[in-house]
Amino acid sequence: MQVEGALGGDIQAIRRDADVISARQSGRQIAERMGYSRPDQALIATAISELARNIVNYAGKGEIEITPVRRRGRMGLRIIARDHGPGIEDLERAMADGFSTGNSFGLGLPGAKRIMDDFDVVTAVGEGVVVTAIKWMGR
Amino acid sequence: MLEIIASSAEDARDGYDLQKAMKWFDLSPEDRDRTMQLGEISESVAEAIIEAFYEHLLSDPVAAQHFHGPDHVEKVKAGQLRYFRELISAELDDDYIADRRRIGGIHERTGVTPTLYIGAYAFYLNRLATIVLDRMKEEPDSAFPLLLSLFKFAHFDMALALETYVDTREETIRDRERELSELPTPVLQLRPGLLLIPVVGTLDSFRARALTVQLLEGIRAHRARAVVLDITGVAAVDSAVANHLIQTMSAARLMGVRSVLTGLSAEVAQSLVKVGVTAEKLQTAGDLESGIELADRLMAG
Ligand SMILES: Nc1ncnc2c1ncn2[C@@H]1O[C@H](COP(=O)(O)OP(=O)(O)O)[C@@H](O)[C@H]1O
Ligand SMILES: [Mg+2]
Repeated sequence: MQVEGALGGDIQAIRRDADVISARQSGRQIAERMGYSRPDQALIATAISELARNIVNYAGKGEIEITPVRRRGRMGLRIIARDHGPGIEDLERAMADGFSTGNSFGLGLPGAKRIMDDFDVVTAVGEGVVVTAIKWMGR
Repeated sequence: MLEIIASSAEDARDGYDLQKAMKWFDLSPEDRDRTMQLGEISESVAEAIIEAFYEHLLSDPVAAQHFHGPDHVEKVKAGQLRYFRELISAELDDDYIADRRRIGGIHERTGVTPTLYIGAYAFYLNRLATIVLDRMKEEPDSAFPLLLSLFKFAHFDMALALETYVDTREETIRDRERELSELPTPVLQLRPGLLLIPVVGTLDSFRARALTVQLLEGIRAHRARAVVLDITGVAAVDSAVANHLIQTMSAARLMGVRSVLTGLSAEVAQSLVKVGVTAEKLQTAGDLESGIELADRLMAG
């Protein structure tokens, strides 16, 4: 997989609500520039919003990296959400619909997974969480 | 590189680590000793350099717009003279840092761009270095280290001013966002008992809480029995925003008021479905008109 630098990308520090908003806005812009359809732009923005909000809510701070990538001639948008917070104790449960330690819907992780084509979470308790997700074009 | 970006951002927010910064720029007390040796030459030519610079600057009509008359120019020149004097001889301490940061902030607010600032710096350094090399041409081997130390300080200085420039800019943006998010949400009475709340902008925790309070107060003030919450103006909805909306609507329900959500765009609706927020969770109607109809029916029934 190659990184497509010419199309722009973004790394954004996430600490507060306002950062969640600007991360998803910049994701939407990059997706638009790459030629994603409007519904896809909204989906990507929503996935970024879920991952960024989890950083604010559960880790306090972290970052979101948004990068256009290419694999076997096909373009995609990769989102990496990274934090050094407490990590996720039971990843399997966290990935299930409705599980929340934050008294909310518990739809952020499974929802973002449904939106994106590739979705990978690496986490260790006490070390943080890295979510890498890609949405390929034209699927 | 990522580490560096992260740590410099950290410094900017959580206070400046002078020791760390000096290490990064390879600055030591010896560097200060060396620049001090340039004190005499610099003192004798600084004014002339600044004069030359302003001649150069004021010949540009765009740059000249920054100044409101000759008094202002004189004041800025005096500030610059002091700035360069400190570059040569000031003690590198917290006061120095604070002063450089203050100047960066002023630049941001008064529209002095990084290009203008670094350009002015380059002008001064080039002129001074040329003069120093000329006056010390019998002993170039001792002139070079002096200038190199001066350049280290100059870079250190520029970094400080630019960090502050960026911080100030970010703060301005954040303030603006906060102002926007604090815009009061209007509560409109459509007819007796029926309220319309058009929600615009972003709906994040802070704003959502305010919305709940306003809705409940509106219900009490107008003795409402139904409420239409129109989110046509909301750009993006994720599960947290949906959660806020639902909580707001169930708070209204507790007061005996039925509420209807309208204005979900097709894209927002599709994203919500993908995420898993189902229609049963949200009492929705397609457009504002059908929302009002539905609210009417709910009021009647
Ligand atoms: N970055 C993170 N750090 C630590 N825990 C997390 C993180 N992201 C998610 N979690 C955990 O996974 C759970 C499920 O997350 P999510 O699906 O987004 O639902 P919700 O945010 O509504 O709880 C959270 O309640 C939390 O316990
Ligand atoms: Mg979540």
